Amino acid sequence: MSMVVTCPTCGRRPFTEFSFGGELRDVASPDTASDFARVYLHDNADGPQEERWFHLLGCRRWVTLTRDTGTNRVEA
Amino acid sequence: MPSLRLDGRRLEVSDGDTIAAAAFRAGVRTFTRSLKAHRRRGLYCGTGDCANCLVTVDGLPGERACVTPATDGMRVERETGWPSADRDALAINDRLHRFMPVGFYYKVFARPRWLWPIAERVIRRATGTGTLPVNAPARRTPTRFVRVRTLVIGGGVAGLAAAATASTDGSVLVADEAALGARTTDAAAREAITRLGAEARAAGADILAGHAAIGVYEGPSAALVGPDELVEVEAERVIVATGSLEAHGVFPGNDLPGVWLGRGAARMAAIHGVPIGKHAVVVANTDEGAQLADAVRTAGTDVTLVAGRVLEARGGHQVTSVTVLTPEGRRAFACDALVLSLGWAPRDTLLRMTVEPEVVGAGDVVRPGCTLDEAESSGRAAARGNADEPREADPWPITEHDGYVCVCEDVSMHDLEHAWDEGWTSSEILKRYTTATMGPCQGALCSRHLAEHARAKGAAPAARGRTTARPPVRGPRLGDLTGGVHEQAERRTALHDRHVSAGARMDHSGVWLRPGTYGDVADEIRAVRERVSVMDVSTLAKFLLAGRDAQTLLDRVFPLDVGAIAPGRARYLLALDEAGYVMDDGLLAALHSSYFLTSTSGGADRMEAWLRNWIDRLDLHVHLVNQTSQLGAINVAGPHARDLLATLSVDDLSRDALPYPGYAEITVAGVPCRAIAVGFVGELSFELHHPRGRSVELWDALLNAGSTWDIRPHGLDALDVLRLEKGHVYLAQDTMPDDHPAKLGLGWAVATHKAEFVGKRALERMDALPLERRLVGLRFDGPPQRGHPLAVDGAIVGRITSCAVSVAAGGPVGLGWLRAVDGEFPNVLRAGDVTATVSATPFYDPEGVRLRG
Repeated sequence: MSMVVTCPTCGRRPFTEFSFGGELRDVASPDTASDFARVYLHDNADGPQEERWFHLLGCRRWVTLTRDTGTNRVEA
Repeated sequence: MPSLRLDGRRLEVSDGDTIAAAAFRAGVRTFTRSLKAHRRRGLYCGTGDCANCLVTVDGLPGERACVTPATDGMRVERETGWPSADRDALAINDRLHRFMPVGFYYKVFARPRWLWPIAERVIRRATGTGTLPVNAPARRTPTRFVRVRTLVIGGGVAGLAAAATASTDGSVLVADEAALGARTTDAAAREAITRLGAEARAAGADILAGHAAIGVYEGPSAALVGPDELVEVEAERVIVATGSLEAHGVFPGNDLPGVWLGRGAARMAAIHGVPIGKHAVVVANTDEGAQLADAVRTAGTDVTLVAGRVLEARGGHQVTSVTVLTPEGRRAFACDALVLSLGWAPRDTLLRMTVEPEVVGAGDVVRPGCTLDEAESSGRAAARGNADEPREADPWPITEHDGYVCVCEDVSMHDLEHAWDEGWTSSEILKRYTTATMGPCQGALCSRHLAEHARAKGAAPAARGRTTARPPVRGPRLGDLTGGVHEQAERRTALHDRHVSAGARMDHSGVWLRPGTYGDVADEIRAVRERVSVMDVSTLAKFLLAGRDAQTLLDRVFPLDVGAIAPGRARYLLALDEAGYVMDDGLLAALHSSYFLTSTSGGADRMEAWLRNWIDRLDLHVHLVNQTSQLGAINVAGPHARDLLATLSVDDLSRDALPYPGYAEITVAGVPCRAIAVGFVGELSFELHHPRGRSVELWDALLNAGSTWDIRPHGLDALDVLRLEKGHVYLAQDTMPDDHPAKLGLGWAVATHKAEFVGKRALERMDALPLERRLVGLRFDGPPQRGHPLAVDGAIVGRITSCAVSVAAGGPVGLGWLRAVDGEFPNVLRAGDVTATVSATPFYDPEGVRLRG
């Protein structure tokens, strides 16, 4: 119980149907040196953060959303 | 006449009685003994808000007598006091209590240290409320999920007005603790509730009686506890209309039996017809005084109505007199009931529990003391999106120099002063030190007093707020909270019944049930190595990937060279995460216009999520079908595997048509199969992926035809040995979360020449670092033990992760971790009494001749 995530396919669903995919990050790094930061040095923001959620117990679609990590409020 | 038993005594029950009404009518005045001082506590709020009347009902502790309907044959026990609540030997504590300030126990019994466990046991027995029914059958409340546009908590005037208006804008659910209007003594209010209830129903609102909200959460969402269900509500907005309680008055003697909050006293007299005493003094600073006095009179009680500050109440078993500072001066009254309506304490815990802007209040909870008309308009405004801002009642009832602030935990003004002097100078810290607000009522009575005390003492602004509101507002039963939690998914393959009837020991493997062994592991191993055997591998994760970008996706995501796999061939597949660590492994078969991927049984969901993430992030055109549940799979393994299939198929099964590692579409015993020549057990073997509905048919046909070679099915125990003999790694058992392929000796599975794949950069970075740890094959000179440390000169440098005494490998073998010592990996190690020597893998058929058949 708590957070609600809006899935483009299924609408508003409880977050327990989703699995967390972490912060939205680049899919690749331009070079080996910067790759370490991309993989390990996350922002871990206190406040709005863009992140990925997977509708595991639903349509199995990935959603990118902005969540305020302090209040768990999700902006569409 | 229906009746209940209270501590064994028979009490008559009238129509509509609560337990408290039946008991009070029969003369019961002491319902509980207080936590520490064992003071007598009687009915106080009468509305289910305080903890003074908690009793055990039919073995279930902690039920509120004042709101629990009495039923015929009910067994009720008072929970506190020894030998009884009426005569309590520990009442002596009340005399001693002033010598035992807050923190006394911890300070006095802390030295010597052995004293505390003993003291704690004695103190624990003397305090606390009911006893958990440890032998009672576990009660599991089903959980129901509801989604609505608007949830209204509280079915009073404001709540129903909100529901009626909100129903024009989507679905509405109204939850009320009781039946609508059942607890209202005021005729005008009851009439308004009837009218608005009808309006709300006609507008389509769903009204859920007997359901108490215990918490409001992010979302917003809320949990409602009903008589036999827990309801989780997801709402787009929540309107809290829980009303107000009369303010808790703090003065010497404020906790005596016979002291009532106004609406509770009115309910007892006007609804249950039970006189609260012979002579009652009603002290009212609100507008409800006359109305309360009238209600109390209906049951035949003589009433004196005054306004002012209560200075002191006196009495022994119950209140006998009260002193009030009225505008005309100090006046004393003899009485046997004191009814308080000193001010309003909005029931705002649910409102304060969340910061969601979609959670608003309506009526008394935000406009304490408002009229019925105001409540109705407040409710309608909230439904239209113009909710009232919460407003505190004014003026907040004065606390006198002594009296109980927190009735649940026996915390007096004196205790607060004492704690303040000790340096606990903020409301939150006062709470933790004194335990005020931490009793069963969760601060419903006293949370404002604590904040007010901090304010009056001059605490800094940040240190004088109300303490954090947390669920549960009402005490749910443990069974309500555990709801569906005990449910655990268990997956069975289509062949489950076949395994069970063959006498297999079924093991839990993740969510799956799989055969461990059919009885004789050694015989199962021999069947694979010497004859032919079958294994149910339906649990494998299976994916079909098609679409114009399928190859691009696989090439970009996996470290193998996908383009090099000719149609009809298959390859071992490693899946690396972005840190370059091994995440999963499996097999990739190139079909003629698509790909078929199998990976480990436990990882199907994770693999699907992972692949879909890359399809999405890289914006590729790929159709991914998760066929894990759709397809069954049987591995046919052993030197006669091809011979067995030939008896059941007319297709070309020659080495050219179905080479290792390769794939072909064939028909076996009439069942269409995607056959993949695999090598996990190290013998000629074919995984037959087929429609799950035909698994039993195929399995039976294979076992029948296999009788020529004395076929046996094998289970996980045999598989563990067979794969170990080949040096194949079990992910998670042999690996750790930070294993890159080189540590596992799987560097050959990575096509480093590819321009890009997930984990490539990380592998490049780690390649520059020395290898500090690696997985090796081990041979032992005695029976090894899995998990045993491996040591060199007494220093632990590794651990055995898998081991078995193997016939095929000619002795005990295993896999294990080794750490580099001064840059070198040791070759000879001690594992307890056994010597381990590092050995090349595979231990069996290192050239891989047998699996090519």
